[in-house]
Amino acid sequence: MNEPLELSRVLAIIAPMLAIQLVLAVIALALCAKAEQTRGPKWMWILIILFLNVVGPIAFFIAGRRNEA
Amino acid sequence: MTALLQVKGLAKSFGAVHAVKGLDFAIEEGRCVALLGPNGAGKTTTIRMITGLLKPTEGQLRFSGTGSSGDERRLIGYLPQSPAFYNWMTGFEYAVYAGRLCGLPAKAARERAKELMALVGLSGAAERRIGGYSGGMKQRLGLAQALMHRPKLLVMDEPVSALDPLGRREVLELLRELKRETTMLFSTHVLHDAEELCDDVIIIRDGQIALQGRVAAIRAEHRSPVIELRLERDAASERWLQSCETHFGDAAGEPAGAGLIQAIHVQDGSVRFTVREVDAARQLLLERLAKDRIKLTRLEVGHSSLEDLFMKVVTA
Amino acid sequence: MRTASLPVYLVMVQKELLELVRSFKLLWVPLVFVLLGIMQPVSIYYMPLLLESAGNLPDGTVIDIPMPLGSEVLAQTLRQFGTLGMLILALASMGVVSGERNSGAASLILVKPVSTLSYIGSKWTSMLLLTWGSLSAGYLASWYYTGLLIGEVAPGEVLGSLLAYGLWLSFATTMTLLFGTMLRSPAAAAFSSLGLSAALSLLSGLFPKQLGWNPGALSGYAYQLAADGVRNPDKLWWAVSATALLIALALAASAALLGRSPAVD
Repeated sequence: MNEPLELSRVLAIIAPMLAIQLVLAVIALALCAKAEQTRGPKWMWILIILFLNVVGPIAFFIAGRRNEA
Repeated sequence: MTALLQVKGLAKSFGAVHAVKGLDFAIEEGRCVALLGPNGAGKTTTIRMITGLLKPTEGQLRFSGTGSSGDERRLIGYLPQSPAFYNWMTGFEYAVYAGRLCGLPAKAARERAKELMALVGLSGAAERRIGGYSGGMKQRLGLAQALMHRPKLLVMDEPVSALDPLGRREVLELLRELKRETTMLFSTHVLHDAEELCDDVIIIRDGQIALQGRVAAIRAEHRSPVIELRLERDAASERWLQSCETHFGDAAGEPAGAGLIQAIHVQDGSVRFTVREVDAARQLLLERLAKDRIKLTRLEVGHSSLEDLFMKVVTA
Repeated sequence: MRTASLPVYLVMVQKELLELVRSFKLLWVPLVFVLLGIMQPVSIYYMPLLLESAGNLPDGTVIDIPMPLGSEVLAQTLRQFGTLGMLILALASMGVVSGERNSGAASLILVKPVSTLSYIGSKWTSMLLLTWGSLSAGYLASWYYTGLLIGEVAPGEVLGSLLAYGLWLSFATTMTLLFGTMLRSPAAAAFSSLGLSAALSLLSGLFPKQLGWNPGALSGYAYQLAADGVRNPDKLWWAVSATALLIALALAASAALLGRSPAVD
């Protein structure tokens, strides 16, 4: 087995997780910007998405959009 | 004329509340029928029972020409008061979806949807998401989706009540065109809409039919002469107006007037007398006005409108 | 079922799938599962290093945490899916029926010649697709990472535990659908379904002999299938059959409930 702490190895392991987090945040931001109506102010959701890792985008997907039924 | 829909003893209770208490009526093919009544009379409940969204507590609905499938929903197109769609769909997609649910093949549904979106004036907005539609556009999309399967009976609940004057005009014009092709039943609390569009009217109050029939026949049958007086707005005239009911109410102390005046309706500065015989009543009123030295500005002789009848029926 | 109800059902499934795509659910829910799946093996792999750097331990302290077996890590991943994963699935699908009923969109559909079973069935089909898709994506990602970092696990064990766990999540999803049809509030539906699943799972853990046949026991069998093989396969088949039966009953009940009152507004 390789040395666990070798930088390139750490990056290779972590990169997919970071990528997923990034994708989730980007989709959530795009939807938030496009949404006609959000539950609560838009800027609040943008902050939540940006600063709450993973949980922020999920919260937006579940509860943030109004009038999308 | 065959009855497209025969309703017998239709009733609905919600717990102890009897919303609809036994309606009997028939809708003949090719006619436009208004279900007219004040708010809370049971119009929406009745409409929902006809569309199958509510199960009647009692009574029967018999559709003619149900065909072999036995599903009367095939015969009906329904437009609720404020229709809700899927906001993420485009108007065109929704119309196609509605058609496909009624069994149209994909290609036929697309063609029909195109045709109807043009008819209701939504061609330009067909590819836009429904979430961005205005109230009037939603109502028109509601009509398009209700007509996809060429229903025999178009059922609408207060189709224009929630719209602004412009949207209202548009939808009424559309209904006037559709009337030529389909049998229609719609509920409304606005007499004017019913009168403008319909052949038949069913007036309901407290879940019961108060009056029903052809609009023309009702108008002729319940037409009685009316004399309307308008007075100067000085104190003496106002007083006279206020005491009108006691003067003429039961024609007290006026043997000649007994039964001559049937109803009195006072409203700011004027009074309407529904009378049995115009000449005698006019004579009586003029004499009285002269005697009391009241300043008359206008006297008009006419006939009671459906509006008067409607008010009488629903407030009785 | 009425004549020609199969094509109508398929059209409705298409609509549900389109909704999954347009609402981005078909993307974000599987992504979250993949993230959960990766995190388990990665955090176990780095656990000793993390402990070492976090605590100010005296020099010379040797941290000796035995590296678990790959199959144990997969069982832990399933536990993650059973808590966070199930929560997310319930929240993502809690409003599929009640939302449409509350807005009135459902009544516009149900006045058309469609059966309530097609309506419920189409929702269920799409919810199940989301459930199985997310679970498979997350579990496969976890398997890949576990093999890479910790130890290989045989495909047979992975497949067996995936199927058992998928059935368990399908049951939970079906309950969300049932409660979502019964209750007006989507949140109440999600939490009733989660509560019921947690209770069943807990009960079958406490009384494995008496209640080993109920759906709640499936999660336990899935852990066993991943880790060291099922101890009493008879009970597993009972649980599978009971779950399938309960799912069918719940669907019938949902359709009947919806037929009684298509619109709540």
